[in-house]
Amino acid sequence: MRAFEVFSAKDSRDAVALLAKHSISSKVKVIAGGTDLLADLKFSAHSPNVVVDISRAEDLKSILVTDDGLRIGALVTHSQIMRSLVIQEMFPALVDAAHTIGAVQTRNLGTLGGNLVTAVPSMDSGPTLMALEAIISIQGPDGRREVPLTDFFLGPRKTVLKADELLAEIVIPKQNLGKPTHFLKFGLRKGQALALVNSAASFWVDWEKHTFVATRIGLGAVAPKVIRATQAETFLEGRKITPEVMAEAGLIAANDAKPITDFRASAGYRKNLVAVLTKRALEGAYALAQAKR
Amino acid sequence: MVTVTLTVNGESRTATVGGETTLLRMLRDNLNLTGSKLGCDVGDCGACTVIVDGKPVNSCLMLAAQVEGREVETIEGLASMDRVHPIQKAFEECASLQCGFCGPGVIMSAKALLDEIPNPTIPQIRDALGGNLCRCTGYVKMIEAILLASRNMRGEAVEVNR
Amino acid sequence: MDKKPKVAEKVSPAESVLKDPGILRESVASPLVTYPIEVVVPKARQQTPAVGQRATRLDGRLHGLGQTSYIDDMTFPGMLYAKIKRAGVASARIKSIDTKEAEAMPGVMAVLTGKDVPNNSFGPSLKDQPVLAYERVFHAGDPVVAVAALTEQAALEACEKIKIEYELFTPVLDPLESLKLETPGVHAPSANIYQKKFIKKGDIEKGFAMSDHIVEGQFRTQMVEHVPLEPHATIAMWDANGRVTIYSTLGRITLGRADIASTLGIPISRIRLVATIVGGNFGGKNEITTEPVLALLSKKTGRPVKSVFTRPDEFMASTTRHPLIMDYKTGVTKDGRIQARKIRLVLDGGAYCSWSETTLSKACILSAGPYNIENIYAEAYVVYTNKTMTGAMRGFGAPQVCFAYESHMDDIAKLLNMDPLEIRLMNVFHEGSISPTGQKLQSVVVKESLLRAAEKFGWNGKGSSAGGGKLLPKEIIDATTVRV
Repeated sequence: MRAFEVFSAKDSRDAVALLAKHSISSKVKVIAGGTDLLADLKFSAHSPNVVVDISRAEDLKSILVTDDGLRIGALVTHSQIMRSLVIQEMFPALVDAAHTIGAVQTRNLGTLGGNLVTAVPSMDSGPTLMALEAIISIQGPDGRREVPLTDFFLGPRKTVLKADELLAEIVIPKQNLGKPTHFLKFGLRKGQALALVNSAASFWVDWEKHTFVATRIGLGAVAPKVIRATQAETFLEGRKITPEVMAEAGLIAANDAKPITDFRASAGYRKNLVAVLTKRALEGAYALAQAKR
Repeated sequence: MVTVTLTVNGESRTATVGGETTLLRMLRDNLNLTGSKLGCDVGDCGACTVIVDGKPVNSCLMLAAQVEGREVETIEGLASMDRVHPIQKAFEECASLQCGFCGPGVIMSAKALLDEIPNPTIPQIRDALGGNLCRCTGYVKMIEAILLASRNMRGEAVEVNR
Repeated sequence: MDKKPKVAEKVSPAESVLKDPGILRESVASPLVTYPIEVVVPKARQQTPAVGQRATRLDGRLHGLGQTSYIDDMTFPGMLYAKIKRAGVASARIKSIDTKEAEAMPGVMAVLTGKDVPNNSFGPSLKDQPVLAYERVFHAGDPVVAVAALTEQAALEACEKIKIEYELFTPVLDPLESLKLETPGVHAPSANIYQKKFIKKGDIEKGFAMSDHIVEGQFRTQMVEHVPLEPHATIAMWDANGRVTIYSTLGRITLGRADIASTLGIPISRIRLVATIVGGNFGGKNEITTEPVLALLSKKTGRPVKSVFTRPDEFMASTTRHPLIMDYKTGVTKDGRIQARKIRLVLDGGAYCSWSETTLSKACILSAGPYNIENIYAEAYVVYTNKTMTGAMRGFGAPQVCFAYESHMDDIAKLLNMDPLEIRLMNVFHEGSISPTGQKLQSVVVKESLLRAAEKFGWNGKGSSAGGGKLLPKEIIDATTVRV
């Protein structure tokens, strides 16, 4: 790895100040868990001059239920998400998603914020958060600004973050707390595998009419960024919950997806996977809804 | 350059290293602890696994600067002058290692597992070893050894083959 | 009267624990182990019944303690670190190499190119591999320049300052393309086909004439990298008597010494090659890599020099398993008896020969499978391509052809609507069978093994292993011949 200087921030404000200071004259990168940054820098031609280490910012490590909803600090690790009783109770899908990431060692280092900021389309935390209509709270020199997750990603490895900004918190809005959600990942291995396709489905059940309410479906690895399967969502609104409807929603979601062919899988195979995984994610969310009832 | 002071295997250690130095390199090159291995340097193989503040991590993915003031356990800290650690003994008895290169990483992952779950199931063991690659053995005897070690460490009677 | 020593039960400790966890056994306290261990010295002239005993690996203790010293764990006072700049292009002529900027960098102690190597070619059979590519580049992993510096960081940055001008050629990547003699030779003027082997037994035309069905099929296997957990590592240093000591992960040290002697142009007696515990080999560490280069760097700088492959180097610049393209044509009677088998193997031989001759030979000899076939014709070719070197890897050609002939047998079974076990029992070697190369086989227990395995797996004879149902041929060639 090429030489660089490292500055450790005491908290999020300090981190932003360091970013503002150094990004004027140097190529700056932020390190939290380092599972993506360092893996990327080890054998690459490009390198930063300065790395700002934010791993000690304790103010970014909490999981809180507030009036706005569930606020997850950017530095919460995937392991911590798996162990959080609050998240286990409210959103087992987030636990599932965290569990599919890498291996024990990488989950102990890797952070939720880092996973989002790296912004690879195959990220495992994105689809569930997308389905839960998460909002990203960004900290800059002038304070906080909020961006819905749907607007946060610009493309592969590109987000709306400016050079002096930090992803501070991920907020799941109050109205979605406890919403039945299920996440499925398909990779070539059970562990340490990149997703071929990710699918997360979230909906409320109208128990009287037995219909879908406010369905949101997040898809990963099938477009330049994590997307919502909007056509499938529209199709499901107000429709009766049956296996046939779920299967059809899966097929429509496959149309929402625009996957590519690469050495891991063909576009056709990925579309097939979207249909199957989405159907199963809907089934899983429904099972959760029934259990909670 | 950064000066890092941390606790390694119960001892306070200090090193002055370049900012880009990883925890793995600092352990191996500056602190003379070559038990943790460099297999891929990108966090895929787990040969560099050490325990930081109680959690197993890829030391090749941490900057030395990030472990300031933290507690690190490496393979060198398991055995004492009188006694080999029960996990190491079990690995020996079950002939779990062949070339041995993945060994320190696997054993540290196993230790972290048993520290948290003293009586793990086989699926839990597999999950815990999911980040450690081995090209020689096929993992079966490692899982056996961890089951054996867990029994030994809980003081349960075990018949040892002679 | 001597009592017969008790033979240990062949059950692993955990197996016994798993079988009956509820049963209390006599508590056996883990005995205090001294550190380091005491070695038990057996009495002289005492026969110990080792067979059936559980044995402890001698290296297990050190491995578990993390105290095994692999090459990268060793350091020597004043040691330098070397990095190799690799071509990064598949096929090219090197027009110029400019190392001036690199040499001027602080911390850089020596820079070497191919012209500094006394005899710049080596290889386990054909000496077609350069120590440092000087005129031509044959694959992207070709080493071109070597830099020794005070730190790995400095060596790495020096490599980036080296300017190499290439005249690029179109690389030959498809072995079947390379097979056609019209293709410009990868190692022109040498032919692309750098080794062939033919096996002829009986008369295949006669055999096909006697067959009721002729089945054709093509099978391919991919390039595989050994991925030993420990990357290749080497340390070289000289003494004042003009002897070089090289610590290396190399597996074949006698061969290694010969190659190092010839490339450096020094007598073998001046070379001390130390191979220690290796972190996985699987055939991939069977020939020299950076040893001559490090010896030269050490000579130039007067200091020990170490170099370790990165993981990407392991994929790009170390040997891999040969991909094979295997064409099979088998004639069978309608009851499944094989009358003739014609085989063509094309081995993707990569940029250099390495262990291709052995691989070719083995693959060809084993290509017909363990079956009694009167009439066999096998032709095998290994060709150059501008891809990663292919060399020795567990099996040396056997795994690839095994995949082919066993898949082929399954296809034939499906076509004839036969049980795949049945067709094998009918054709497989038995005691005294003659192999394709005329060897009379002894201690043949294939039939017994197959039957025992079938019993253990609960093979019911219905449907084949690959999904059941009659196989539909892809192409019908004539009245008797189909391609599956």
